Amino acid sequence: MPDEGCPLKKKRSRRGFIDIMLGLGFMGSTASVVYPVLRYLKPLGPSGAQGPMKLTKEDQAKLEREHMLIVRSGTTRILVFEDGQQKLRALDARCTHEGCTVQFVPGESLIWCACHNGKFDLDGRVLSGPPPRPLAQYSCTREADGSLVVNTDRKKEEA
Amino acid sequence: MSRAFDWLDKRYGLTPLVDFLKHKEVPVGGHSMVWYYLGGTTLFFFASQVCTGLLLLLFYQPGEATAYESIRFITTKVPFGWLVRSLHCWSAHLMIVSLIVHMFSTFFLKAYRPPRELSWVTGFVLFMLALGFGFSGYLLPWNELAFFATSVGTDSMKAVPGIGDWLLQVLRGGTDVSAQTLYRFFALHVVALPLITVGLVGGHLLFIQRQGMAPAMGTHVARRGLRFFPDFLLRDLLLWLLCLILLATLAVSLPYGPGLPGVEWELGKKANPLAPAYPGIKPEWYFLWVYQLLKEFPPHILGMEGPQAAILLVSVMLGIWAAVPWLDRRAQRDESSTAFSDLGVAAILFVGYLTLKAWDIGGKGLKVPDTFAVARATSIITVIVAAAIFALRRFAYQHRFFLLSGAATLQIALHGFLRVSYLNAGIVSVLLIAAGFAYLRLRPGPSVPPRLGVAP
Repeated sequence: MPDEGCPLKKKRSRRGFIDIMLGLGFMGSTASVVYPVLRYLKPLGPSGAQGPMKLTKEDQAKLEREHMLIVRSGTTRILVFEDGQQKLRALDARCTHEGCTVQFVPGESLIWCACHNGKFDLDGRVLSGPPPRPLAQYSCTREADGSLVVNTDRKKEEA
Repeated sequence: MSRAFDWLDKRYGLTPLVDFLKHKEVPVGGHSMVWYYLGGTTLFFFASQVCTGLLLLLFYQPGEATAYESIRFITTKVPFGWLVRSLHCWSAHLMIVSLIVHMFSTFFLKAYRPPRELSWVTGFVLFMLALGFGFSGYLLPWNELAFFATSVGTDSMKAVPGIGDWLLQVLRGGTDVSAQTLYRFFALHVVALPLITVGLVGGHLLFIQRQGMAPAMGTHVARRGLRFFPDFLLRDLLLWLLCLILLATLAVSLPYGPGLPGVEWELGKKANPLAPAYPGIKPEWYFLWVYQLLKEFPPHILGMEGPQAAILLVSVMLGIWAAVPWLDRRAQRDESSTAFSDLGVAAILFVGYLTLKAWDIGGKGLKVPDTFAVARATSIITVIVAAAIFALRRFAYQHRFFLLSGAATLQIALHGFLRVSYLNAGIVSVLLIAAGFAYLRLRPGPSVPPRLGVAP
């Protein structure tokens, strides 16, 4: 019942104010549910060591046996392989097309992704197929004691 | 029995419900009744999925060190474990087959026309959920195939503008596919997706109960009907029995699938994130067309990266498919809309050709088959099918609209026979469609311009 003597305009603005407060309250409570859920869903940051990585004895043996090796450093997977001139090279192992893992094909001197037939040269440049970008290059060096170290910072020209 | 019914009736008032069911009828005439049973068979295979999935859950353990091992344990040690897994895989494939045939029959009979738009949309979402089931279930055995299929499938999420990276990480539980991804997909596959699906199936069935099944075009009210209880239901049950026999026969005789790429579930090697993808790797058959499209797109196109453009194209096509009840204005007026029948045929030719090509038919089983030989062999098959469909439509149904299916066939022929690249052939086809529509609009006389916004 409208109050006698109380102007309708004032009444309406009071109702409007309550509606706004109710709306804000509803949005606030929705946000207080949605935000924690979204934060919960987003995975934690990368864990594990970053920086130069020394290959283990088993890894080195595998590299000699199969001419290629994939190692993990933090969140990246790196393909290490020996080219025709026995030079060690390292490229990002994840294909820039749809994220499959690439491989070194020693006979044809190329890097191949079996998923959608993308082909790269040994510097990671796209030769044919659908990949839109080159593979990032890393450097791989042989220490004085014969051990292999993969530098996990991207090479300057690629960064 | 009747005393129990009286007891319940007094409390819950069941009589109106029983009266409704007694008078429920299925429309007869106009077209074959066969198409009315396909929703039921899809539901039957879904029920088989729930039952066999529940049994698999008793032994399956998600985790990097346990997922693969537990599936191997189920198939090698648990009595009839191989059968339960085989039934689960076979009924998954049969469910998708049944769902696709159900969807296309609904499409060609224009059963999506008012007032059944929401039945179409809920059905479309259920189709997407079924694909989601297939995709999430694929990872659970944690074998090599699972790992790469999931890597590729989730990677395409980055094409979503704005939130792509966030979505990718949320789906994977990290930047790469890992055990975290397995946990997330497990939760999706056994809890989230089934709950949403059951809810939507409920809605889909409720709409059909309220509205009845769609009568044939031009017959607003069926002249006569078939009683649902017991006549239609008994037929339904008989068909379900036949489905069960088919399912059991396939599951027992081919426990690891028919051996076609994309339709096999040999456990293979355990997933190893540090191993390269192996040659000949392919996704499930119902994703093959997207897989092939990703291969056909160049690295860059229209200022976008190839995969992004491919995913955008697929999204636009699916969007058009979902919105068909609102696009097809002639069917809304209960008039025959052969342009939309043609759209359906074009869709079948488009998806079918890409699927055949992904299967490397004509590639002589080589590790890296000759792409031209594959394109030609698959083009021959698709063009013959297209010609058969054309003849059927022209002479049996007197259809006169063939622009879209013709353009789809032209693309296939140009690509397969004249070695024009798939995309360039597609551009020629799109231009042909545009010219065709312009001609239909400008042509004098009583034309039948189909109101179609976008070409496939």
